[in-house]
Amino acid sequence: MRIIHGNPFSEPTHHALDQLLLDRIATGEREPVLRFWYRTAPAVPIGRFQAYENEVAVDYVREHGIDVVRRITGGGAMYVAPGDVITFSLYLPRADVPDDVEASYDVLDAPIVEALQDIGVPARHEPLNDIVHPDGKLGGAAQLRVDHGVLHHVTLSYALDLREMLRVLRIGEEKLSDKAVQSAEQRVERITDHTDATRETIIEAITDAYTERYNNGVGSLTDEELARADELATERFKTDDWNRQR
Amino acid sequence: MEGTATHKAGKLVEVRVTYDDELEDVTIRGDFFLEPPDALEELEAAIEGLPTDSDHARIVSAIQRVDAQLIGFDAETLATALEEAVHQ
Repeated sequence: MRIIHGNPFSEPTHHALDQLLLDRIATGEREPVLRFWYRTAPAVPIGRFQAYENEVAVDYVREHGIDVVRRITGGGAMYVAPGDVITFSLYLPRADVPDDVEASYDVLDAPIVEALQDIGVPARHEPLNDIVHPDGKLGGAAQLRVDHGVLHHVTLSYALDLREMLRVLRIGEEKLSDKAVQSAEQRVERITDHTDATRETIIEAITDAYTERYNNGVGSLTDEELARADELATERFKTDDWNRQR
Repeated sequence: MEGTATHKAGKLVEVRVTYDDELEDVTIRGDFFLEPPDALEELEAAIEGLPTDSDHARIVSAIQRVDAQLIGFDAETLATALEEAVHQ
């Protein structure tokens, strides 16, 4: 498995890379990849089937220029910001992933759970696709399966600004009373609430945990892949046709 | 006429429907998973055209005829949300 860190990219480019690298795994052009995301700006990735206007505070994200990008995977909306979350994607041949969807989330999340436990955060996987702490949700995974490939991407809240999250996502819109804020803060747990470990340390721990299961080496994105991802971002992930389709 | 309802038994499923004697325009949205993703339009199309007074079993069977894997929801959940949207 190749570990790719790469440069900070815009939100649409990250989603384009997901689509491209999944395709390259499926065709056998690439070995399995573990790619960590580095972002340039706050953003909201929403689930493939979600209603745009149900999930984001439309006026707020427009006024603040926050990118809302529809993922190629199902699942829910998240607020993300550079340095405040840890996002990574696994791109694997379908033959390497259990056929049973529920089992595959468990298997592919296991190294993350192990990494968090190793640094003292009592995390566990909760079906279908959550990673939780006893006090609340730390993050979640989402998958897309194609004929010969599987994308499994994960976002963990490292030090997310939960008040900003409530301004950006519609979960916070109804009543920004202390009570509503409190209950949302209870639902989302941050890694920094439970450890002093830096984001880099956690990324290393996650990499190590996957390394124990796969034979890893360092990889990088080719110029051709970056150019193609830019095209895909322009054709799809920067367009209202895609992002606001539902 | 028009109706919208959400149902949650696992992931959230929201159905919006316009109807007269038949179910016309159906939109399904939510935080569920579906393989392949493009099957969502087929699910919507499978429901469109059914008589509005179809019973639960008929709606479930129309949904089940679509070749897709529903993850975090099922044909029963979807049919229930649809019925609530019509009868609200």
